[in-house]
Amino acid sequence: MVVKARSNLRLETRQSVIGWAFVIPAALLIFVFYFYPIARALVLSFQTGIGANMQFAGLANYRRLLSDNVFKTSLVNVLTFLALQVPVMLTLALALAYMLHDKRLRFRAFFRTAIFLPCATSLVSYSLIFRSMFSLDGFVNALLINLDLITQPINWLANPWTAKIVIVLALTWRWTGYNMIFYLAALQNIDSSIFEAAVIDGAGALSRFFRIAVPMLKPIILLTAIISTNGTLQLFDETYNITNGGPANATISISQYIYRLSFQYSPRFSYAAAISFVVFVLVAVLAMIQMKVGDER
Amino acid sequence: MKKSLLKVLLCVLVLSLLTSSVALANQEVTVWAWDPAFNLYAMEEAAKIYHEINPDVTINIVETPWDDIQTRLTTAVMAGQTGTLPDIMLIQDNALMKNVIDFPNVFADLTDSGVDFDQFAGFKVGLTSVEGRNYAVPFDNGAAINALRTDVLAEAGYELEDFRDITWSEYITMGKEVLAKTGKPLHSIVAESPDLIMAGLQSAGTWMFDENGDVFIAQNDVLKEVIEVYVELVKSGVMVQVNDWEQYITSFNRGTVAGTINGCWIIGSIVLPEEQKGLWGVTNMPRLERSPNATNYSNQGGSSWTVRADSANKDVAIDFLKHTFAGSVALYETILPSSGALATYLPAGDSPTYAVPHDFFGGQAIYAEITEYASKVPQVKYGVYNYEARDAIGVAIAQVLAGRDIDSALMEAEETVRFLMEF
Repeated sequence: MVVKARSNLRLETRQSVIGWAFVIPAALLIFVFYFYPIARALVLSFQTGIGANMQFAGLANYRRLLSDNVFKTSLVNVLTFLALQVPVMLTLALALAYMLHDKRLRFRAFFRTAIFLPCATSLVSYSLIFRSMFSLDGFVNALLINLDLITQPINWLANPWTAKIVIVLALTWRWTGYNMIFYLAALQNIDSSIFEAAVIDGAGALSRFFRIAVPMLKPIILLTAIISTNGTLQLFDETYNITNGGPANATISISQYIYRLSFQYSPRFSYAAAISFVVFVLVAVLAMIQMKVGDER
Repeated sequence: MKKSLLKVLLCVLVLSLLTSSVALANQEVTVWAWDPAFNLYAMEEAAKIYHEINPDVTINIVETPWDDIQTRLTTAVMAGQTGTLPDIMLIQDNALMKNVIDFPNVFADLTDSGVDFDQFAGFKVGLTSVEGRNYAVPFDNGAAINALRTDVLAEAGYELEDFRDITWSEYITMGKEVLAKTGKPLHSIVAESPDLIMAGLQSAGTWMFDENGDVFIAQNDVLKEVIEVYVELVKSGVMVQVNDWEQYITSFNRGTVAGTINGCWIIGSIVLPEEQKGLWGVTNMPRLERSPNATNYSNQGGSSWTVRADSANKDVAIDFLKHTFAGSVALYETILPSSGALATYLPAGDSPTYAVPHDFFGGQAIYAEITEYASKVPQVKYGVYNYEARDAIGVAIAQVLAGRDIDSALMEAEETVRFLMEF
């Protein structure tokens, strides 16, 4: 009996060693290229100086953030985009997923592909196209004038609020399909017999949607909400390419400010690192709030 | 049979490797610059000229947009990898001081290298020096010009000469007439781009920073006048704002506007539409009225060649620049006709090529004129924090146009720049 226990132990050890041998290379790479730079950036955020002349300065960068008007503006902008765009996009994605889940709808595959296709486009390409579409003599103005909805072309990109709307429209166009795919996959995991039972019980389409589909999709809605929050807080390509920070910083995002501080102005990498850590904390806090509200486990 | 064939092939391979390694013993100077029609073309011609002088040197030219050059420079210096940078880099003048001061020991000090800086226009040498030492060989000319459609002016009853040596009020008055009679604004500008403001400031010999590098925005009366002129231009319709650079170029290419005010390098874009040949003219830009040192001359843009200090090919690179951009009138004569590339090398301005009349501009000898403008551009010190100030002023313009009063907008701009200058 002792012999058998010993050989079991050796087998267990061998298996765990093999397991570790598979995990360690990947873990090492993640550590070196992911966690180590994050730790170094944190150290960097405690220093000050231009270019490569760094000195230790404690929390000076974080204190400086409190009086930075451009940072505050960018924060407000990004939170505005978050509040305006994410709920609209997720609701739209959910509705579209539910409609496209219906087996009786024809050309479902075409619609799914068409709605998902924007996600396959390059961020810079589509931003530039949106910019030219919303310019003074662009497609949107031409369309609105031809439909007699307006008489003078609207200068979309020169007015703070219309500029924000253009960004929201661009983001919605781009990411609705992405979230829709998540919801479609989740819907397919719901047993169709539940819906059939509801139909037999006399539930209409809307109450089937709100009372069955949505509650059962809660975990997935939570997931997409957190992903979208993370993505919106780190917004860069759209604000850089469509409005370049917008009329008088009306659409500048935090990431764009970080980029300006690092590469366009006199390089202040330490201050930029401090700002990125604030974003990190913000995303973590928002994710935790969302989980508290949405997670039932 | 097969074995001996293999041996022959091996010998050929070894021989070719040997000869290529002999070729590698040639020195290679790498250059980064943007704009194939202008800067790169000039470099290629310079390489041909230098090949006659020193055939063992190959000049390797890599097209790199300005934003990329700035980003790669910053990244390389921060990572301590300056070896990835080229031997010669084209740097925008308004970023030169920032890069030289922020990245010490990256750019070679060319003051005593044998390059004769007296042969270049004074204002360019000023822009490429930091604390009295020269860090770049001046290159392209950004002297401001007012390019106008002479046919549109004629329709409104004006001539090109009416726009020479004028003030901004006269410009606006005539512009309103042109707008009324032809429906065309006199020029366009990219919204929130502070380029015109910068040109206006320099035309009166001042800048957003004073001699000591302190912010000079809120108390800057010249800046206030420039912004008032800007607002008046937009409100009267004489100047129309467009959303981006492409629209700006299209506006005068398509004839939606009757001209443009910019650095003379804009000529490369003006001459694009064939059908406008002979319909353009060039004169100097309007001047400010209330400002004491106002002139009709200014600078917009412009870049210069820098050499990397720790490059193995530094001496060859300097020698190359000395014999071409800082010493060859023939080079400037070659690049002028095809690219319109005007330079700040004064001896080239005396060359007969520069006095040749230009068809597109109705036979006007624009190059000689522009070289003359370049000699009259007021010298200002750009300083290290130009990009911060540019963005802040861009914000201020948008606010003023939306109704905010100039003083409070400039106050906010100054605070923003001061904040960014701290630490």
